Amino acid sequence: MTTRCTAVPADAAQLTVLMRSLQEFAIAVALDASQARSFELALEEIFMNIVMHGSRPGIAPRVEVSLHRDAESVTMIVEDDGPQFDPLSLPPPDVTASLADRKVGGLGVFLVRKMMDSVSYARIAGRNQLRMSKRFDG
Amino acid sequence: MNLRIEATGNVTYVAPVGRLDFDAAPGFQEALERLLGGAGERSAAVIIDGTALEYVSSAGLRAFLLAARAAQRSGIAFALCALQPAVREVFELSGFSRIIPVHTDRASALAQTPPGRA
Repeated sequence: MTTRCTAVPADAAQLTVLMRSLQEFAIAVALDASQARSFELALEEIFMNIVMHGSRPGIAPRVEVSLHRDAESVTMIVEDDGPQFDPLSLPPPDVTASLADRKVGGLGVFLVRKMMDSVSYARIAGRNQLRMSKRFDG
Repeated sequence: MNLRIEATGNVTYVAPVGRLDFDAAPGFQEALERLLGGAGERSAAVIIDGTALEYVSSAGLRAFLLAARAAQRSGIAFALCALQPAVREVFELSGFSRIIPVHTDRASALAQTPPGRA
């Protein structure tokens, strides 16, 4: 099993650090391009949610991203010590709405749920933990 | 993110190069709004060529949504073509391919995009 872990403050500028780490992991475990893209999207959506909703004035949560690969799947766990927030509790967007009525809120999390095989949230020891897995089809 | 903008007759092709993430989305949106609204010379159709567009997140989708609305207000036809598979997947899962026409290549986009009234 291969594991990689990176921690950064919840600041938008730090996404490139996490992205680089994910891309290195993707190469190390030979993820195909389409799987790597799915994890990149999940990382951006979940991290930016924490940046926008998890910060209190003057205090940015610390975000830790760990990546694991075993024989069957790749798992990404995003943990932060910000206020309790379950992104999976957001109502799903209406993806059939017309151009005029279409809203973008909630779309990021919706895409993550669609692209991953499993997504689960837990609040553990004062931290939000979102676990996302996708079966390895290589 | 770089944009290659090419005006041919009354159709403008916009080819974004690279990743349309939260960081690139505001600049992309601004560039499209300049083409689709406001003053100055306008095209009858704006077609986004996705050949070199590698990645789109929800922030990028938001820019496309606002652009499509600006196009509608201005009476300019707006469509996408030649999306890479990962980007096409994002458009399909989000239902955006139902509100913005997506074509396989420039030729079919041109053939199936009725010029707007601008």
